[in-house]
Amino acid sequence: MEKSIEEKEEFDESEIEYTSYAGEHHLPLIMSLVDQELSEPYSIFTYRYFVYLWPQLCFLAFHKGRCIGTIVCKMGEHRQTYRGYIAMLVVIKPYRGRGIASELVTRSIKVMMESGCEEVTLEAEVDNKGALALYGRLGFIRAKRLHHYYLNGMDAFRLKLLFPLKPRLPQIASQDQTQQEQENFTA
Amino acid sequence: MQPVREEESSSIQNDPGNCSIPSGDSSVWADVSPLLSAACTDLQEGELIHGDNFNLFAAMSALEIMDPKMDSGMVSAFYSIDEAIESGFAPVPISSDKTVNVESIIDIMDHLLVCEATWHMGHSLAQTVFSCIYVLRPERTSSQALLHSYCRVIRATCRAVVSVVSDARTNEEEDLLTMTYGLPFNGDEDAKGLLLLNAVEETICRQLRACKATSAKRRLLEELEPLQTNPHLEEGFCKALLCRIRFRKHFLHALNCMRRPQGRGHELARKHIASCISELQSLLESAEFLRSNTVNNGETEIEERTTASGRQPIGFDSTLNKRLSAPTPPRAIKLLSWKKAIDYFVKLLHNLDQICAFSLEPDLDFVLQFVIQFHKSRPDLVSRAHLQLLLVQDGKLYGRDTFLTICARLLAIDVSKNHGLHLNEYILQLNQLMINLLKILCANTPWQRRKLGKILNDWSIFNVQMGINVGQLMQQDTSRSQKNGDRSLFILNHVYGWIEEQIHWVALRFLVLGFELDLYSPSEYCMVYWYMYIILWKLHEKARLRVLIVVHSEERKAKRNKEYSRDMAREDRISLWVLLIQCQTSLTQGLTLMIAALRNEGMCLKSQGPFNTENEKFTQHFELLQKASLPEYDAYESFSKSTAHASLDFLPAYECFRDAQKMAKDIKVGYANDPDKLAEVRGIEQVAEHNVIAVNLLCQDRSLKVSLEFTHHPYFATAIVRRS
Repeated sequence: MEKSIEEKEEFDESEIEYTSYAGEHHLPLIMSLVDQELSEPYSIFTYRYFVYLWPQLCFLAFHKGRCIGTIVCKMGEHRQTYRGYIAMLVVIKPYRGRGIASELVTRSIKVMMESGCEEVTLEAEVDNKGALALYGRLGFIRAKRLHHYYLNGMDAFRLKLLFPLKPRLPQIASQDQTQQEQENFTA
Repeated sequence: MQPVREEESSSIQNDPGNCSIPSGDSSVWADVSPLLSAACTDLQEGELIHGDNFNLFAAMSALEIMDPKMDSGMVSAFYSIDEAIESGFAPVPISSDKTVNVESIIDIMDHLLVCEATWHMGHSLAQTVFSCIYVLRPERTSSQALLHSYCRVIRATCRAVVSVVSDARTNEEEDLLTMTYGLPFNGDEDAKGLLLLNAVEETICRQLRACKATSAKRRLLEELEPLQTNPHLEEGFCKALLCRIRFRKHFLHALNCMRRPQGRGHELARKHIASCISELQSLLESAEFLRSNTVNNGETEIEERTTASGRQPIGFDSTLNKRLSAPTPPRAIKLLSWKKAIDYFVKLLHNLDQICAFSLEPDLDFVLQFVIQFHKSRPDLVSRAHLQLLLVQDGKLYGRDTFLTICARLLAIDVSKNHGLHLNEYILQLNQLMINLLKILCANTPWQRRKLGKILNDWSIFNVQMGINVGQLMQQDTSRSQKNGDRSLFILNHVYGWIEEQIHWVALRFLVLGFELDLYSPSEYCMVYWYMYIILWKLHEKARLRVLIVVHSEERKAKRNKEYSRDMAREDRISLWVLLIQCQTSLTQGLTLMIAALRNEGMCLKSQGPFNTENEKFTQHFELLQKASLPEYDAYESFSKSTAHASLDFLPAYECFRDAQKMAKDIKVGYANDPDKLAEVRGIEQVAEHNVIAVNLLCQDRSLKVSLEFTHHPYFATAIVRRS
């Protein structure tokens, strides 16, 4: 769902403001950005499905008050793993290649990690060099190739990022312990 | 998702009334009308009422009415086919001017060829071939023999293709091809199309002869009406039509011949395929004549056109069946160009010819190597479906040999006396595993890789169970059974050994396909080559053992029976294959050590991201192999240990690349008569040779820049060294 890098806009990285999804007023901004950049049309229900259930995983990037990039994600159980999923990522052309997409993705991934996700996945077109490089730098592997995934007949890669496996048993034990300590304390 | 208002359940009127459908144990029927009418006045645009099970799929299935990208029901050019016909969109005859009529029919034929190729490549039948009103309603053209019979044959061909693909069921994720959306496929009527087309061909042949004949002869042929009215164009039009008609005829015949059981129609199919290819050449040659009759639109534009003449064909509208094709979103599809469509058919025909030329030897090594070779040209769905139907028919290889006999042959064992064995539970299971494997190997490579990864676990569980069972039986064994000539246990034991070899073969194919599908990034090559090395090493060990068994068993047979003729060619073939595995083992060992050394010296990037380490990437890439206990130990730990101390200084001493190079030289001699294999081995040899040089250069000068490229082989990398 991501696009490659083309013409540039003059700006300083510090001028870009990032904000988490904060309500209905952000929805039209996200929709217009995604509609203009991605070929597939999504109904308003699709956008709402994501941003109402996982507002904390949705971020917007602004430059001088103009929305220039956004990321929309979800997370949930998937075959016995708790998994994050990046559904849409858009940075408009003049702002690409300056780390804005990386920043948006990093912010979402951090929240997923803190929320207990074990892995993050997404799909990207096989010839979308920009997106593949971006996710490669962040530690994603190309786990699968999906034949004729897009309506135009193009294949996709399923990209996956696995978080380091924490030694589980000791961690659960310590959690129980703290809980118990807290209970003892409050009691 | 919250835009949604869910009314209190108490506000819903319960009406347990006389409902014929039971509501289930823990629920009751309720009248939702009050809720809906309340919602109607309350809901804003973009809000909806949903239940707990509302998910992404449901959200994405919602469509906005009158959005042309979502609403299939929106009226495009015509409301219905009848309306299109009434408006004169597809007239019969196309023109009262006979010349224009012929020209237009040729355009329709060309555009249909384009539609057919586009359909094969994964677009819907409704939007491609059946976007033609003449194909949709062939009964309208019954007075126009040429157009009518051609369209009938197109429909029969589509049916044959749908049938082969749906029978093969290789089509997961390619299932669009078999969806016919209830389009009219009248088998009987369409089957007659071929007879009609033959008659039409005959007439045009005579018309061609007539226009070329001298005036004396022409008088004899005077009764024959010419194809069209312009005598200067008669020959060109006749020729252009003949190659188009003949292509259709031979193509349908070829497809039908290929469906005969046990490959019996292959010889004849090859003749039809050869004719098809030569007719396609004539098609290309006819383009110059056809283009000369139209206003020139410039060469570049012609390249994009869907007809030889460059004109738009009459009677096509891809939106006609929009409502029929509802599961596919209403998108305009991009058709191939006429030239690209011809290229597609030439490739398809070559792939079909490869299948027909295959010698159907009852030898699994041979089959597996053929399938791998076949995939190298990236065959499309139609040819892969044909291959699958050939390989697996009625649960047997080629519909002829059981997998027990195939396995026995692999091990040079005679199973003819062991009548009970084919009912043995392990042999039955093995049969199923083999059928699955062969079917998977005919699927598209992305799907194939996923499936191979999954079946590894099945194979490995089966292997463990069989191992335990056979082991126990061997312990209990008395030599009684052997005296009766029943060597079932002996055979099972050998089959068990072979299964381990086969598991490693599948694992290797899984790893190699990762390169083909571009799944590995350069920072991951080290771990991938290490894994390939581990698998190849074991595969080599197992395969070598089998060669020894085969040679030993053949020698014994020859001793016992003086007249027994050993199949030396086959023995040589597997020995050569084993040597190739050994050569690849050395090469992957060399690559692992070289890349590890480069990483340790900081000359090549390590795989490191902000959120995880190489360990997680390793786990993800090889999860399925490790699940199947390939290898049985902690692979990541072993990989880390064996690569941690690799250094450029010691690299030349290992001589892995030199060994690979030497073996490749020997193998080349054995494959002198097999150009495909020879090319493969030559590639391996070059990789080894270049890497020997690269390692020597790098040892002398560490400031050199190095990159890994696939210039000589699709999955063995060559180190390219440059001055910085």
